[in-house]
This record gives sequence, C-alpha cells and structure tokens, in this order.
Amino acid sequence: MASLDQLKLTFFDECSEALQQIEIGLPEIADGAGAEDTINAVFRSVHSVKGGAGIFGFEDLVKFAHVFETVLDAMRSGKLATTHEIVDTLLQANDVLSDLIAMSRSGEAVAPDFGAECRAALEQILRKNSDGEGLGDSMDSAPADFEGLDFVPVCVEGLESSDPEGGEREYRIVFRPKPDMLKKADEPLYILRELRKLGSLDLIVETDRLPALAEINAAESYLGWVGTLRTAARRQQIEDVFEFVAGDCELEISAVSPEPIEAAPAAETDLRAQSDLGSAPAASAVPVAPSTTAAEPESAAPPQEHIATQPAVKLSGSAAETVAPQGAPAKAAAAGATTTRVELEKIDRVVNMVGELVIAQAMLGQVVHTLPESVSSQLVQVLDEVVHHTRELKDSVMSMRAQQVNAVFQRMPRLVRELAAKTAKRVKLEIAGETTEVDRSIIERLGDPLTHIIRNSIDHGIEAPKDRVAAGKSEEGTIRLSAEHRGSRIVIEIRDDGAGINSERVLQKARERGLVNAEAVLNDDEINNLIFLPGFSTAEKVSDISGRGVGMDVVRRNIQDVGGRISLKSDRGRGMTIQLALPLTLAVMDGMVIRVGQETYVMPMSAIVECLRPPASDIHNLIGTPGMLRLRGNLVPLVQLAELLDIGSMQVTSDERVVIISDAGEGTRFGIVVDELLGHQQVVVKSIEESYGSVPGVAGATILGNGRVAFILDVEKLSDIASSQHVPVGVTRFANGMAKSAAVPN
Amino acid sequence: MPAAAALKVLVVDDQTSVRQMTRMTLEQIGIRHIHEAENGRLAMDTASVQPLDLVISDFNMPEMDGLAFLRALRGHPAARKIPFILLTGRGDRELVVKAAQAGANNYLIKPFTADILRQKIEQVMGKLS
Repeated sequence: MASLDQLKLTFFDECSEALQQIEIGLPEIADGAGAEDTINAVFRSVHSVKGGAGIFGFEDLVKFAHVFETVLDAMRSGKLATTHEIVDTLLQANDVLSDLIAMSRSGEAVAPDFGAECRAALEQILRKNSDGEGLGDSMDSAPADFEGLDFVPVCVEGLESSDPEGGEREYRIVFRPKPDMLKKADEPLYILRELRKLGSLDLIVETDRLPALAEINAAESYLGWVGTLRTAARRQQIEDVFEFVAGDCELEISAVSPEPIEAAPAAETDLRAQSDLGSAPAASAVPVAPSTTAAEPESAAPPQEHIATQPAVKLSGSAAETVAPQGAPAKAAAAGATTTRVELEKIDRVVNMVGELVIAQAMLGQVVHTLPESVSSQLVQVLDEVVHHTRELKDSVMSMRAQQVNAVFQRMPRLVRELAAKTAKRVKLEIAGETTEVDRSIIERLGDPLTHIIRNSIDHGIEAPKDRVAAGKSEEGTIRLSAEHRGSRIVIEIRDDGAGINSERVLQKARERGLVNAEAVLNDDEINNLIFLPGFSTAEKVSDISGRGVGMDVVRRNIQDVGGRISLKSDRGRGMTIQLALPLTLAVMDGMVIRVGQETYVMPMSAIVECLRPPASDIHNLIGTPGMLRLRGNLVPLVQLAELLDIGSMQVTSDERVVIISDAGEGTRFGIVVDELLGHQQVVVKSIEESYGSVPGVAGATILGNGRVAFILDVEKLSDIASSQHVPVGVTRFANGMAKSAAVPN
Repeated sequence: MPAAAALKVLVVDDQTSVRQMTRMTLEQIGIRHIHEAENGRLAMDTASVQPLDLVISDFNMPEMDGLAFLRALRGHPAARKIPFILLTGRGDRELVVKAAQAGANNYLIKPFTADILRQKIEQVMGKLS
C-alpha cells in the first residue's frame, strides 16, 4: 500500500500537470480562442488542486484555490465576461498557486498574508460581477456539512426500503402515437426527450405495427413505446409532457408499486431484455431475466444501430446518450493505457546503463581486433549487430527523455504579452515547430536564454507603434519563435521585425568600454557580435525588462554550456534573427576519436564538416597566422591542436597531417590540424565540471574502448582560445575575420 | 448488516492521489474490494460489468463528470440501485443539491477521516460489520 508520503508526491505531480494546463489554457482564453473546453479544463485543474490539497490538509492552498476556482466557475457558466484584465489577474493567481504548491511541497510555512493581494483582486472581480451576491460560499463560512438536504433513500438488497414518498417513484408509461400524430408536427422524439429530463427512463420500442419497407408512409407513425420512468416528479408533470398530443396517442401513466426490482446480474441484461421482449413487445417494462439467452451477433454494436434491424429496441434513459456504446470500453481502456508515468530517475538509470553498454561494446570491439582473423571475422559480424542494436536502444531511451520544446515555448506568449504591455508596444508572437523534441536536460536550460532573448527583442528590437508606422511597418511587431531538427541538432530561431542592431551605437559602446581597439576596423557582422562580449549592454538606461545585469554573454555561455551555438543576423531597420543550435542530447554522442602526439581526444561529430589530408602545397604559412589552407578556392585558417593545447606533436610530416574542417557557427569555418584520426564511435559524455571546474576547450570526458579516459573537445571554445592567442584585437575578430577570408561554400 | 470485508466499492476520481487516499481510508475501515476509475465513462464501464455495492465518486472529471455518471448509473438497468456517495469539497452546496436530485444517496466532504467515511457509508448501507 502506498504510504502517505508517496501519495503526496503523486498529488504534487498532479499539481505540476494542473499548473501547466492552467498556464496553457489562460492565454488561450485571453485570445478568445478559449473554447468552453479550455475554460472547463482550466477550471478542473484548479479544482483538482483544491480537492487534493483538501485531502492532504494544505489549508492555505485550498482557500486560495477556492477563490481562484470561483472566478473560473463564473466564467465558464457565462456569468462573468472574459476580459484581459481578468485573465491577467488569473495568470497572477496561477503564480501564487504555483508558489503555494511549492511551499506545501517543501513544507515551508506559508505567511498569513501570502497572495493576499491577488486573492483580494480575485474577490474584487467576483464582487463587482455579482452585485452583492458575494462570493457564494466563502471557504471560511462554508459549512463542513450540508444539513437538511433531501437524499434519495437507498434500496439496497437486504436493507430495509425507505419511504418512497420523499424520493423517486416509478411510473409505467405506455405511449403509442396514433398514425396521424406526425402530421400535426408533434414529434415523438421530443416528447421522449422531455420525459427523460424528469428522471431515468427505460423504454422499449414496439415495432410490431411496422409494415414492410415498401409500404411505409413517412408521414405516419408506426412505433409505440412502453417502459418505466423513475422520477421524483409528480404525476401531473409527467402528464404535462404529453399535453399537446393527448388526443393523438394512446397514453397510459400508472404508478408502479415500489417493490425492489430484482436486478439482473450485470451486462447481459440489455441483450436479454431485447431478445425476450422482441417476441412479446408489451409484456413488461422491466427487464426480466428471460430464458432465451441467445445473444444476437450484432450485440456488441451500439444500441442505436439496432433500430433498423432489431424487432425491439431498448432505449435506456439518459444512458443512451452519455454512456459509450458497449463495444467501446475495451478500445477506450486501451487508449487510456498508452501513457504511463515513470520517474525521471528510473529513465536516467537506463540512460546510464546504456552508456556503460556503449563503453563495454567499444572495449569488446578492441578485443576483437586483437584476435586472429579466423575468429574475429565472425565476431565482427555479431558485434556489428550489437552496435546497431545499442544505437537503437540509445535512441529509444533518449526519446523517452525527450520533451517537446513546447514545454519552454508555451511560457513565452505570456512573457510577450506582459512585456508588450509594460513597454506600450504591440507585439505578436508566432510559434512554429513547438512539437520538436529534444532532451529534457536541454529543455531545462533553454528557458532562461530564450526569455532573455525575447526580452531584448521587445525592449530593444521592436519599435514603438508610431515609430513602426513612420518606418512603413505595421503597428504590431512580430516575433517568430521556431524550432526544427537539423541533423543531430535542434535549431531554435528567434526572429523579430524590429529595428535590428544599431551598429554605430554598439561600436561606440564597445570602444567606450575598451572592448575593441579604437583603430580596429570591423564590419557589421563583427560589430553585431560584440553584443556577446561580457559586460556589454546597449540599453541607454537600465530598464525594468532587460538590462538586469545579465547580458547576451551569459546567454551565449548558457547555450555553450550545453554544447550549443548562438549566432545572430541583423538587418538594420528590418529586424534581427538569433539562432540557437543545440545538441539533441547531452548524454551520448557521436564522436571522432583523434590523436595528437601521445594524446587521444574526442571531437563531437556535430562540429565536424569534413576531414581531409591536404598536400603540403595547399597550406600557406602567412606571417602572423598559424597557416591557411586553400580549400576549393577559399582560404581556411588553420589551428594547430598540439600548439593550442600545448602538447608535443609527433612531428609527422606535413603531408600526413590531417585537417578537420570544423564549423564554429554561422558559416565560420576553420581547420584543426591533428596527427591522426582513430575512428568514429559513440561516446558517453561524463561531466568533469563537478570535479575539476570548467576547463576551457574541454567539454567533458569519456571512456574509450581501451578503458582509457579521453577528453571531449569543445570546438567552439577552441576557436575562441585560438583567436585570443593570435588576434589580440577582440574576441570576435578571429571567427568573423575568418568568415570573411574563408567563405567556404556550403 | 453488510460486512465491510465483502463490500465491493468503486472509487471514481480523476486524481490518482485522491483515489489512492480514498482507497487507503476505505481499507482502514475494513473494505477490501476496491475498484478505481478515472472518470465517469470508465466508471460506467466498470459499473456495467462488475457487481458493485457502493460507488464513491468525485464530480469534476474530464470525459464524463460525476453528474452525468450518476444519471447514467441511475439509467442502467443492472446498476441503477447501486448506492452513490458524492465526493465533494466544502462550499459546493449547489452541487450537492443537484446530486441529491439526480439520485445521489449521500455526500462526503474532502478531506474526510476514516470515522466520517464509515459514518457516511453506514447512513447509506446500514451498520457495517
């Protein structure tokens, strides 16, 4: 049996889901796209939090959720019109709710006035709306019990039946429209529906008067209904239903004695009643277990379909409309079981195990190569298969950890709305590719950078409405947030149609801050990239929105920390595009094992464009540079890895050197010179940061097939290090300078 | 006098935590046969195939809410007599009234103790043994 603590955990998980649902739903409601379903779903989410909180005794949570829920209830019942102000208050309420949940979870004491302001705002909405009707039942004054309510007496077998007067009665109904009733535009169906509203209705349709198909006159009524109505309504109310057809039908309404009915066991009842009553249509209104048990083959089909083919049809009160047909449950149950909740920890354990498996497999590969060929050739075949399966296993596990970027994207509409309101700008957010999946760990670290970039976009990029009109643009600015898979990366793009980067101002600031030499001549791209330098902020005044001391350098570092790249393109007056290219996963990756001197390193495959062994004649040693490679008519700057990492190279002749052409982002390429390529393999990324801190140029470590540890190189950092060593002007100079001189065609 | 150990009870709530909590409390008063359903539709499926002695159901649920479920239950020839206890929050009087009209037999306010649960069940079914 689950312990109370486990139950609480389950509850908090449900709370997280509920909060997410609210977060998604509220903006939809604000946009007017919120159908009734959305409001209902949001209401239910808050209600669930309240219910669970009640069960587990989180009183503060219950009280707040109650007010929140009451507002939503007024909205869904149409008593309260939805306005942006109300939705804003509700969004705040969601924040408070979220905080309260967090506090309840951590066991933190809730300050007595926590969320009081928001609660007051919610109450204000209700008060305004209901002119004095007040909060309905305020939680504090709500009774813990509802005395004086009239409940239906129970007729349980073996228990004494209570007095039927106070509760429901059963009436026998016989209703046989005369042939010309239809001609008077009285529709029996509507009458039956009315009847059903009074209580639970069990009717059997009589079809014995139905002629052969060819003889049917559509304007004539052939059917009759016999059955029971169980209702709390008085006899008069039942008669009222038939008021307009009284003369046009055979009608009988009689009270049935309140004797308990022998309930036939379970599901077969319907079928039995059908087959039995088919032969004796008016025999009894109450389904009686008959001796004929032959179930029709169509018995699994929805009851409605019987109308045309079966001699007698049972119309079972409201159940016919609301209950899924008998055939459906199995399917529905199967659909319900398609997802299951698994603790993240368990998946991580599998991921780790797959990692170990990858290492073991690499070791096996090494051992196989030391065996005599007669033995190894067969083994290699098997091993290939193992490699294949391991890869699939890895992909499957990774896909379990994968989440849609929507988890982050969905937070952005609200951000945009709030910021637009604060800056008095009009901004529209378009989102595309939100179903693109990426590893959870990446998602988790995507929120802050995205938030910051969008803040910047609205604060600095998008112009005020009148400036936009003056510039010949529409009043409303657009930010487009999109995600897509490209190779083994996910590319997230934030594009706005604002003013773009003001290069003069950026350059001026950079010079003021001594970030670039006064004499340095930079092109627009280089200037634009200056905003990624630490300590750069172009905001004239530090605003409430951006400029909280966190600059684009932090954004870039965050992205780089997860092995991603950030690049930007600015079109003055037209807008700006920032692109984030991130690895799909952090745990296992494809790597190229390389050797420099005595050392072995791994380079992420995603950073490698091509590998080649160029003839010495293609390498030009320009003074002041570590060399340039002529590649298909373009010059690509080279970096000597041995030099960069300060390790002795094997001094292989230049003809044998291997150059790895690497992509440092946005068309910027450079060549890394290494001694040898040892092979391509999947490697498990082990973080070394925890133990050794961040080592520039090293992204992590892995265990190779021979059991030795190798460092995984951080190619982008390497390019930065190289640039700072060789080009003292500015950090960005190197990469962008290279872009100019080495415009390698894609 | 119904024996608690022999009673078959269906607990309906869309929240796993509430269902499990209710189950725990039911177990405390000696009830051993407990079915669970996530919403009214699934509950109706269960009720139409399982012999049940009691239904304890929440009201706000996706797919089919408690009220629709109650009506469906009361309209089902085999399941119509099953006692129905509404699971509700404080302050939902309107709902309780509606439920009473639709044929609910009692209500249970969240949170509830084992004692209250027993008391409510006994009001509906008679003293438990």
